[in-house]
Amino acid sequence: MASIARKNLLEDIPRFLVAQAGIMFAVTLITIQTGILEGFTRSTALVVDNSKADILVSSNQVVNFELTLPIPAALLEEARAVPGVEIAEPLLLGSARWTKPGTADIVPMRPIGFYPDGQLFRLWNLTAGDIDRLKDPYTAIVDESSLDTLNAEGVGDTGQMNSLPATIVGLTQGTQSTASSTFAFMSIESAKAYATVGLTSSVRCRSNPDGELDCSTVYRTEDSETGVPPVKPLAIGDAITHILIKAEPGQDLEALTQRLETVLPEVRVMTREEMAEMTRSYWKSRTGVGFILGLGAGLGVIVGVAIVGQILYSSVSDRLKEYGTLKAMGASDWTLYRIVIEQALWMSVLGYMPGMALCLGVSVWAEASMGVTILITPVTAIGVLGITVAMCVGSAFFAIAKVTRVDPAAVFRS
Amino acid sequence: MIIVSPLEPETARFPMDTSSDAQGAIVAKGVEMSFPAGNQDIQVLKGIDLSIAKGSVQLLMGPSGSGKTTLLTILAGLLTPTAGQVELLGHEITQMSRRKLSRFRLQNIGFIFQGFNLFPALTAAENIEVALNLKDIHGNSARRQALELLGEVGLKDRADLRPSSLSGGQKQRVAIARALAGKPPLIVADEPTAALDSHSGHATIELLRRLAKEGGATVLIVTHDPRILDVADRILYLEDGEIVSEDKAAISH
Repeated sequence: MASIARKNLLEDIPRFLVAQAGIMFAVTLITIQTGILEGFTRSTALVVDNSKADILVSSNQVVNFELTLPIPAALLEEARAVPGVEIAEPLLLGSARWTKPGTADIVPMRPIGFYPDGQLFRLWNLTAGDIDRLKDPYTAIVDESSLDTLNAEGVGDTGQMNSLPATIVGLTQGTQSTASSTFAFMSIESAKAYATVGLTSSVRCRSNPDGELDCSTVYRTEDSETGVPPVKPLAIGDAITHILIKAEPGQDLEALTQRLETVLPEVRVMTREEMAEMTRSYWKSRTGVGFILGLGAGLGVIVGVAIVGQILYSSVSDRLKEYGTLKAMGASDWTLYRIVIEQALWMSVLGYMPGMALCLGVSVWAEASMGVTILITPVTAIGVLGITVAMCVGSAFFAIAKVTRVDPAAVFRS
Repeated sequence: MIIVSPLEPETARFPMDTSSDAQGAIVAKGVEMSFPAGNQDIQVLKGIDLSIAKGSVQLLMGPSGSGKTTLLTILAGLLTPTAGQVELLGHEITQMSRRKLSRFRLQNIGFIFQGFNLFPALTAAENIEVALNLKDIHGNSARRQALELLGEVGLKDRADLRPSSLSGGQKQRVAIARALAGKPPLIVADEPTAALDSHSGHATIELLRRLAKEGGATVLIVTHDPRILDVADRILYLEDGEIVSEDKAAISH
């Protein structure tokens, strides 16, 4: 049929543009909110996702990748001894405060210590500097998006972390979690130094009646600063956060996980995917973030339905005589519904395209300027298209109800 | 002023058109129509009996409120009478389902409206194509037929203009072309000349008569317009819900 729907839609351009602006707004709201949620939750598990470990060993009280209790570094050797483990490397998450000389700003930091030469955690998306420089004490690599926050210019810039010096020796891109303090990737030795600065520790062991050793780590605050201390290698009495495990080829990960949990005391052992999912799920479900962003997306749908519904209803109301004429001529109700639904479909597609283009632009800008990931995957894009179409067609309900009530005999009375 | 001569009661109740085909294209028997108005019903049509021969042009005239538009609406299958029967082309339509009746109208009746009722967003040709599309004629075939019909009403060169770019007479010619799309055997027209000047009005009705005759269609026109009396084969004059005259000569005088 000559497209009455399309032509009716374009006949009143100002009204059409208002409708499209409304749909664009709804599409943008839904996509951005969903994209922020997706980007946010993905970013919380970036470090896990990008590690090469098959399995992570953490405290048995682990809540998510960053929210956990320390475990003794001594477990590292025990883990290496478990049959099926090929490589075991430590990961140390600390907390620190960054200050830039000459400025009063204090920035919370999340030092992430690993073996720069290790195999299970390799920094990704390095855009400047050199990972080998992390072998120098008190050096760190940060995400490009954190430079402004740190009041830093780039590679070579210096500051202080927990009263110790820190030099930026490299930059990465897309490695920062939106939910976390600023990540500072560094050697495990530097991370340990920042974590324990101002503290000294010693291990005290004594023999219990069963003939076993009971050991405990004792931390003691240093009374005075004695200059910049040299970094020290990881010791048996140190605390670490996770152990990254690479299984020997052909190993059944589930069986290895169970063996590790049996052998190592008070730990929880998870595959990389399980840890990542646990972390994402925590941020999405157990914090209000998922709800709030979901609410925003829902609001977008409501706004879209209201706008499209109103526009379609008024469009049908203005054209009752035309619909009545079609009915008088013998058009079936379905023919009329098709016109309204086709109009709704055109509105959804024509509103979706610029809306999605706007979202893609905003996501690129947000990533580049703020380091905030608005993740718009093909699945998200297709999903939002589906929602938009459903929203527009659904909002045609009242217009369809009105068309159904049109009395064809009225064409002779008007 | 139209003067109606008194009719014999029998004739007034059931005017038979014997001018053409013995089989009536439209046959109404005892058609009554009432509308509720407050606590009581107002009877608009009071037992209309009529028969309209195939291929004829018939005018339905009468003063405002006489019930002629209501009668036209019933005879076109758009309104179900309170009582009585209507046969169109041999089919009793008052008992038809809504869906079946829509289908019947689509296949058999062309409509022409006082206000043209063209789709403003569509061009002249597209307005006709819509009617053809409803009858399952699509694509190039619909386009070709639409242009042919526009050619018949002398508007082929206006095919791509929207109604807003056409004069009143041209719009009504497009409406006639649309009504003729698919060659329906019945054409009903409601005040087709009311919005037209004298010249356009007469030309429009002449055109309608010629095309209807060529296609063998029966045409029923509701009108107040005395300028078009001469194109009719018969004039039915309605007053207070009853046909009081079917005599063209009497009404003309």
